[in-house]
Amino acid sequence: MKTLIVGYGSPIRGDDALGPLAADRLAALDLGDGIEVASRHVLTAEMVADLADKALVIFLDAAVDIAPGEVRCQALEPDEHAVSTMAHFLDPRELLAWCETLYQRVPETYLVTGGGDSFDYASYELTPAAEQAIERMLACVGRLLEQGRAASHGQISSSGSHLRA
Amino acid sequence: MSRTVTIEPVTRIEGHARITLQLGDSGQVEDAKFHLTQFRGFEKFCEGRPYREMPALTARTCGICPVSHIIASNKACDHLLSVSIPPTAEKLRRIMNLAQLTQSHALSFFHLSSPDLLMGWDADPVSRNIFGVMRQHPDLAKDGIRLRQIGQTIIETLGGKKIHPTWVVPGGVSEPLTQEKRDAILKLLPEALEIAKRTYAFFKTLVPKFKDEADHFGTMPTLFLSLVTPKGNLEHYDGVLRVKDAQGNILEDMVPPWEYERLIGEAVEDFSYMKFPYYKAQGYPKGIYRVGPLARLNNANACGTPYADVALAEFHMLQDSAPVASSFHYHYARLVEIIYAIEMMERLLNDPTILDSRVRARARSNRYEGIGVAEAPRGTLMHHYRIDDDGLITWVDLIIATGHNNLAMNQSIRQVADTYVDGNNLQEGMLNRVEAVIRCYDPCLSCASHAFGQMPLSIELKDPAGHVVDTLKRG
Repeated sequence: MKTLIVGYGSPIRGDDALGPLAADRLAALDLGDGIEVASRHVLTAEMVADLADKALVIFLDAAVDIAPGEVRCQALEPDEHAVSTMAHFLDPRELLAWCETLYQRVPETYLVTGGGDSFDYASYELTPAAEQAIERMLACVGRLLEQGRAASHGQISSSGSHLRA
Repeated sequence: MSRTVTIEPVTRIEGHARITLQLGDSGQVEDAKFHLTQFRGFEKFCEGRPYREMPALTARTCGICPVSHIIASNKACDHLLSVSIPPTAEKLRRIMNLAQLTQSHALSFFHLSSPDLLMGWDADPVSRNIFGVMRQHPDLAKDGIRLRQIGQTIIETLGGKKIHPTWVVPGGVSEPLTQEKRDAILKLLPEALEIAKRTYAFFKTLVPKFKDEADHFGTMPTLFLSLVTPKGNLEHYDGVLRVKDAQGNILEDMVPPWEYERLIGEAVEDFSYMKFPYYKAQGYPKGIYRVGPLARLNNANACGTPYADVALAEFHMLQDSAPVASSFHYHYARLVEIIYAIEMMERLLNDPTILDSRVRARARSNRYEGIGVAEAPRGTLMHHYRIDDDGLITWVDLIIATGHNNLAMNQSIRQVADTYVDGNNLQEGMLNRVEAVIRCYDPCLSCASHAFGQMPLSIELKDPAGHVVDTLKRG
């Protein structure tokens, strides 16, 4: 199953680096054939071409609207109106809407977020809470990949669901 | 009774700002201002950091054009080391800078400005956006994505990362280019050039439709500042500074970048966090100048590559004589520069020394002050550092392309508002034109304010006493 995992966030804003750091750890593992892992500062327009041929996409990001250390996993749908406040980078749902509009297809997509505690400038380390979150995020990604493999073998439905780690 | 119109946020730009239009008793525009409402203070919090951290730190000024900061910052560090970097390293840095220019200009044209250019300024805003472009012109939208993808792939191939590569280092680059990587990049360029050429050809067919905008979108006599080669040709990485006036007279030429302070002063105003650079010889605010693609093409004698030189000749024909005055033609200039960048990358990659293994000069800091200047997609980018005996930063000045254009953007807003805004009958299309003239400059407000935080841009309508009587907000 062609899969793309994208962690995004700023590496100098403390716990905002949860997404790219989680992606970097995943990239160091043997996840199997057909699974690409990328770390990004932000989601940019050209990434839509990377989504277009994937069956499963998992975005990894930091969150401020859940408790530090907690992890949330949610299925994403395309949304043209989920416009980023900046013109040059995109909300993942907007990116999916680009994909749907341009390529008439949308991969099964999840957003796994970890609650951060500190987002200070020129901070290069995760807080203890974020370290906890990153482990849970990796576990959550593992479950999504398993679920994807099972679905591709017709064992279970892969319809979007909201999971809580 | 006079009023103030507020446009907030200004959309399809990078960052957050507000425009206010002060209207007089009869509804005419009396004043127009562009307010940058973010503050970050990068120059301050860099103090105390080791100078070798500066490329990585300042690259985070922006998630969009980090390569430009990486280039300018490393050039400032080269200056601190007092080294001349190996020729192959310079060529490799040039390629990365041109790849950045390609992807950045592609985003500006295809995704931020094309909704206005293809659907018109008065089109329903519900469809006058990138999704409207994707539905009505899917091939053009895909071309834009592909061009960005190619630019980013080249950056990643060279630097290991698309967004914040660490391959460019003080003294050169950290690793030589392999033949495999060179071949991989070269393989991408014919497709990129085809996209650039057909987009340019397509845009030329649109230009005659925009005569009114070309006459009123920041069409004004200003100076133009950019780097040029020692022969006066188009330059993005190194070279010398040139200032040309609206009549085409060269006022400053062959100015070494480290003498930029002789040319440029910086003023501040209480209505914006963005600084107001000006040409010192003419004082503030008279010393208004523009930077970026329009200025670079106006200042260059030639591009030096085949297709781009043809396009440059056509660019000069947009106007009967003298430098092209309309900021609307930034769009045109961007497309010419994309062609140039692709042609030049191909030339550099075919250089017989491009695979040379000597790509880094090593030294300790050998002076207390370093200045690095390069052309970012939006214009001339200046990094200026001072350090102490321990190599720690004691002072920083960053002059960003969008900052250079600040006076021009304010004047452009005023011109568009004077031409199109009727205070007694405000229409969305009028206000969109006010925003659109800002988009011509493709401003990066994150860079210009060195700012953090999110404060959307708006248009305000104020009465003669300065009270806000109407506000248009988006987002």
